This record gives sequence, structure tokens and C-alpha cells, in this order.
Amino acid sequence: MSNQYVDMGLSAPVNVTWEVTYECNLSCIHCLSDSGKKRPGELTTGQCRRVIDQMSANHVFQFSIGGGEPFVRRDFLDLMDYAHEKGILTCISTNGTLIDDDVATRLDHKLVYIQVSLEAASAAANDAIRGPGSFARAVKALECLKKRGVEVSINTVLTKYSFPELDALQGLADSLGAKFRVSRFRPSGRGKLAWSQLNVSKEQLLSFSDWLSDHRGVSTGDSFFSVSHEDRRGLGLNMCGACKLTCCVSPQGYVYPCAFLQEPEFKAGILPDDSLSSIWSESPVFESFRRLEIKSCETCMRFDFCHGGCPAIAYHTQKRLGVPDPGCLANCVQVKTPSLGAA
Amino acid sequence: MRSEVVYNLWDGVQVRREKFGLLFYDYRGPRLHFLPSRDLLAPEFFQGRRTAAELVEAIRSRKGLPQETASRLVTDILGMLREKGLIYEQSIC
Repeated sequence: MSNQYVDMGLSAPVNVTWEVTYECNLSCIHCLSDSGKKRPGELTTGQCRRVIDQMSANHVFQFSIGGGEPFVRRDFLDLMDYAHEKGILTCISTNGTLIDDDVATRLDHKLVYIQVSLEAASAAANDAIRGPGSFARAVKALECLKKRGVEVSINTVLTKYSFPELDALQGLADSLGAKFRVSRFRPSGRGKLAWSQLNVSKEQLLSFSDWLSDHRGVSTGDSFFSVSHEDRRGLGLNMCGACKLTCCVSPQGYVYPCAFLQEPEFKAGILPDDSLSSIWSESPVFESFRRLEIKSCETCMRFDFCHGGCPAIAYHTQKRLGVPDPGCLANCVQVKTPSLGAA
Repeated sequence: MRSEVVYNLWDGVQVRREKFGLLFYDYRGPRLHFLPSRDLLAPEFFQGRRTAAELVEAIRSRKGLPQETASRLVTDILGMLREKGLIYEQSIC
């Protein structure tokens, strides 16, 4: 990643995370957006189309679509068709429960990529987190999608419970012809309540870092640059991309630095009424976020790998920005071998 | 560089203008490619409507560069983009 060019300031986001609804038919205990019921003020079909128009006009390349469960929106497939007409790649995160052969047929498009969430490779372990029956329906969705040739991956959030399942999940992905992606657990939404119960220990994070090096085909959605070894350098970002490469649009159209910082103080504007271009280039929230420096990390030998890590995790765990991500590799190594930290 | 060819983006590749030059996005990954070409090239060049020879001539006259220098610049840039698998050439003969 050429930070030099990113630091010059891009004209628009490269990728926009768009949570299209809060409504969800599951109630996962670690949901980042506390989804469940549809909420007042969610964007209408017409407003969504205007959001897509703005993204297209600003040459945004990709939507990372999430929620809630996107497929509960009756207009969702039509909205995706509209985004594809504009040439925008849509990477859709879903629980898979609403995808059958008919839906998979509609999704058979070169600009579609689907991530189906699973927390474990067995129904018992997965359903304890995601709800009864969710494993079987997610696997069925993956099978339907693969039958149609749609690019798919299994997406797993790294927690104490999914950590021992990683090899089995990789095996499941291989058997279904899917890629495997691991995302970082963040203490936002219901994740705030489940943080102490589910967050991996530093020893697990350290082991995971080694596991990632042995599984270079596993993607991390730029979640784990804070713990990646040298050999994964070049596979993704080495810094937080919020307000530099990406931003997030909530179901009600509010624009935030990222999906994990949907707090009132980070509200930068509202779409489609405001202009994306103005928000991106003039919002004080975004300008301040771009100037964020994690001073205490700058002398760390791993600074070039992570630039202080994930500000959202630092914010949620320490209630302020500008402080180090507590889940960084240097920190984990110090915990495991205190003498290294003292040297 | 063959002058009687035009250049197109491969399927899955998009490009937009930035301050530093051009930003390419490749859906097939790795996704981002930064081309620090300043104002030498416009994204529209990769729509296959102008030949490389026309581009060389435009750069030569706009920048006041010798023909050889402009030609080398264009050859290097297009060669690099082809090597990365972002563009392909198409004969117009």
C-alpha cells in the first residue's frame, strides 16, 4: 500500500461500507451494529438510489454491503442491480439464511462477491453464537451460490470461540469451494456487551498471527495489520483506512469514518441530502481523523506495519482516540515474554 | 510501443483521476495500483479511442518535450500497466 499517495488525500473513498438496514432475522450476540428490528428513518428505495448515484459520480469503486441482514430489504436485489449498472463492485456480507436458488441466480453477476458469516464449522458451535438453524442455512446458501458460480467466502469473526475452529473452518471453506476470511472482533454494537466474554486473549492473538502466516490464502479484510508478520506485508493495508480510503454509511444515511465508530461524535454528514464529495473533503470529523497520530507508537519497531492499529478498538476500550490499539503484536509479545519488553 | 494500437482496461479494472495521477482498482486483486503520472494521462485514454502515437504527440506538444522523451515516457507507463495486468492493447489495423 502506497501511503505516500493516500496521505496526499484521495478525491473520494475507494470503498464505502454501507449498512443498508438494521433489520435482521438473527440476533448474534456479538453483532457490531446491534441489529434486530428495522428502525425509523432508514433510507427508502429512492434515497438509496440517490446514494448510489453519488457514489458513482465520485468514482467510488466498491460497496461493502452489510447491516443488519441486507436480504431482508425487499428492494435489495434491485438496488444491487442499480449499483452494478453503475459499475460498482458489491461485496455483500450476509448470514445466508435468505439465499436460495432464485436469489443466487439474481446474484450471478461479475460485480458480486458474497461473504457468508459462520463462527464455527459445526452446527452446535456456530448456532450457540448465531442462533438455531443458522449453520445449516448458511451452508445451503454457500452451496446455492457456488452452483451459480458466484464468488463466495466464509467470513468468521475471531473470538475465543472461533479461534479453535479456524482449521476446521478453512477445511469447510475448501470443501465448499469458498475462500476463507477472518475479521476482527470489535467492541461496537452488541459487541460492547460481549467484549470481555468473546475477545481473544493475547496468547491466542499471538498464535493467530503465526496461523495467518501459515495461511496466506486467508484474507483478513485489512482487520489484522496490527498483528501481521512481515510475510503478509503487501497483502493488504498497513494502516487504518478510515477517512483515507473508506467510510461508512448507516441505514439512515449518516456518514461515519468506519462501521465501528458509529457514535454521535463521529457523524460527518447525511446522505443523500449532503454531498458525498463535501463530506469527504470538508467534514471536520474526517479532517480531524486524518490528522490522528498515535504518538506513543511512533518509536515502536512495528510502527510501519500498523501505524498504531485500529482507532475504533482503542476508542471503545479506552474512550479516546490517539491511543494505541491494545491488540497489537508488540503488546502481545511483551505479555508473553516480559523480558523482551524490558530489554 | 506500437503506435497503431489503442489501450483498454481489462475486465474488472477501473481507473480514476487523483492528484498524483491515476488510481487503478482491480477487482481480481491486489486491488489498488497508484500511478504517479500527474497530468500526463487521463482515465479516458483507456477507453480505446486514442492511439499511443496520439498520446505521445499530445504530451509532446503540451509539455514541450522532445519526441523521444515523450515516447519513452508513454512506452514505460503503458508497459508497466500491461505488466501489472491492468490494460491490454488492441490493434486498430
